[in-house]
Amino acid sequence: MTTPAPTAANQHLHEAPVPGPRADCVADSAGGLTFDVTDSGESAPAHLLLRLRDSEQEVRLPLTPAADGRLRAALPSSVELPEGRWDVYVQVSDDEPRRLAPGVNDLRALVDRVPDGSHGHVAARVPYSTRYGNLTVRSWLRAPHAEAGEILVDKDELSVKARVYGTGLAPDAYVELVARKAPEAVVRAGLTADRSEFRFTVPYRALRPGLWDLWLRPDGVTGPRVRIARLLDDIADKKPIFTYPKATLETEYGPVLAGPYYTGDNDLAVKVAAVE
Amino acid sequence: MHISFLIHNAYGIGGTIRTTYNLANALAEQHDVEVVSVFRHRDEPVFTPGPRVRVRHLVDVRPDGADAEDPDLGRPARVFPRAEGRYEQYSALTDRRIAEHLATVEADVVVGTRPGLNVHLARETRRGPVRVGQEHLTLDSHPAALRATLRGLYPRLDAVTTTTQADARAYRDRMRLPGVRVQGVPNPVPRPGIDPADGSGKWVVAAGRLAPVKRYDLLIRAFDTVRTQRPDWRLRIYGGGKQKDKLRELIDRMGLYNHVYLMGPANPIEPEWAKGSIAAVTSSMESFGMTIVEAMRCGLPVVSTDCPHGPGEIIDNGVDGRLVEVGNVQAIAEGLLELINDDALRQRMAHAALKDSERFDPSRIAEHHESLFSALLAGGGNSPGGRTRGSLHRTRAALLAGAYAVRDAGRTAFGKGRTA
Repeated sequence: MTTPAPTAANQHLHEAPVPGPRADCVADSAGGLTFDVTDSGESAPAHLLLRLRDSEQEVRLPLTPAADGRLRAALPSSVELPEGRWDVYVQVSDDEPRRLAPGVNDLRALVDRVPDGSHGHVAARVPYSTRYGNLTVRSWLRAPHAEAGEILVDKDELSVKARVYGTGLAPDAYVELVARKAPEAVVRAGLTADRSEFRFTVPYRALRPGLWDLWLRPDGVTGPRVRIARLLDDIADKKPIFTYPKATLETEYGPVLAGPYYTGDNDLAVKVAAVE
Repeated sequence: MHISFLIHNAYGIGGTIRTTYNLANALAEQHDVEVVSVFRHRDEPVFTPGPRVRVRHLVDVRPDGADAEDPDLGRPARVFPRAEGRYEQYSALTDRRIAEHLATVEADVVVGTRPGLNVHLARETRRGPVRVGQEHLTLDSHPAALRATLRGLYPRLDAVTTTTQADARAYRDRMRLPGVRVQGVPNPVPRPGIDPADGSGKWVVAAGRLAPVKRYDLLIRAFDTVRTQRPDWRLRIYGGGKQKDKLRELIDRMGLYNHVYLMGPANPIEPEWAKGSIAAVTSSMESFGMTIVEAMRCGLPVVSTDCPHGPGEIIDNGVDGRLVEVGNVQAIAEGLLELINDDALRQRMAHAALKDSERFDPSRIAEHHESLFSALLAGGGNSPGGRTRGSLHRTRAALLAGAYAVRDAGRTAFGKGRTA
């Protein structure tokens, strides 16, 4: 907002009751974020501090006065933010940093995002409110990246439409499923490619009970393994929202319940559970 | 003027609480406003009131609160009507505290915000203040026993306000309230703190409790038709509630899991509206239709069932949105497809929605209340004792109405302030 019009009366009703400073956050389609923090009126220089959880890593961004009487910090897509959960603080001079609460997160530019992938990697940052009402930025950094799209669930198989960013698909590209608890157990699925887009089908009967992680092998056996995930939108936690029907079927391991799901990191996985 | 609101619990979350604060904040720009909460169950209100609004409580039920151990909390209320939905929470203690408050209240206008509190207002407000009872639900939704109680006591109020004209008519026609001003005043909805939607996203958005009255099952079925014609469009439904598992099952059974998403609750909701290009409401009843106004203020045309009571009073059919037949899946699908298939029409309606919804701005809605209050003060009201102070307030109100208009114009001047 650009005028000092009395918007406080409009704004505060959206806010949760957490005391202390608060940041509005705007995302751009390139993956950059802008934070607008209420100015506490301190004259000392202030910084926005992002701390990677369970790590010593920090990113410090200067907070500068914006036209509307707030302080602004920018996290452009060019600043690399290693993958993980970054808790957001505001720090005035050398004082103890204070945790920021989320205000309005305007993430419309992230919906249906199609990055160009031309730098060989895909960066995604989604600010969200933690269970305790604090502001955290979830960051993903994948080079290359395989983005899962439409998933079709049939009575004994699963079909996935996906797209690879940051690399091409060789003629011998394929998808492999790796048992999470037994990485030596690998099941291959062929794919059909159309430039960077590809489709593959997973027959549930090929999987023994357990959790299976999905990887793309864009250059065949010799090349890299690329995790198939869903990162390119505004939703920090896919698991409860992108859910799919499960199939019950008879297998050589007995009756099972099978279906796809997204992990806590938004990676695509398949769960096959024995039915008693 | 001095305006005193009486509310069930100003510290919680809910439509009436939010609406009351929005109105109180707008009125407080020109008037002396307090919000008196019968209960206080937490230290700070969830919705922070504006700096000019005073909030206080009558009964402190925090775990270590002054009244938590009062034996009268366990004794049944006698004044608060038994047929009111909140009766079980009221007690001999609330009866006593509310009576003491109303016997001494220093205000020109006392405003009750639910039927049970309006009953207290009617019976116990000292001579002097104007008594205004707000109805946030509808007459139809009150049980017969409560309607009978209200019919006996509402004549002692000076005014009853409803959120729709339809409900105001119901009160006038069916309650016989001689001398009571019955007026429909819509709920206020503030300008969102974000830019309006640009209409480019191929998303339909709905938001509300996942409750049977919202009929999201119809919306999901309608989207099956939408999907066959326009598989590039998808639907997000925000909100939580008991219907979630049923709706999930319906989505899965119809194979709509790549097109329809149950997003869970979102607060604030405005950034979520801004991600869509069309809003959908498929309720069988909306006592007002708050989400319709919210969506319009974010620049979305709304396709809504023409259900009682609010949608038809908010949406200008074919101009800033589309009204469709209640309960009709095909009609809902056709309404959505009309806007999906015609980008120019959708953009035109979006623009109209943004403009037409300005009439719900708290500053405008505050003016309605203010002129009602002023008229009641000037006219001597309905309650015994009459009044003598009208003219001063009337003059002041006329001046203030001008002030609101100027400020409102100032607000429309800023918009695209945010850089990405």
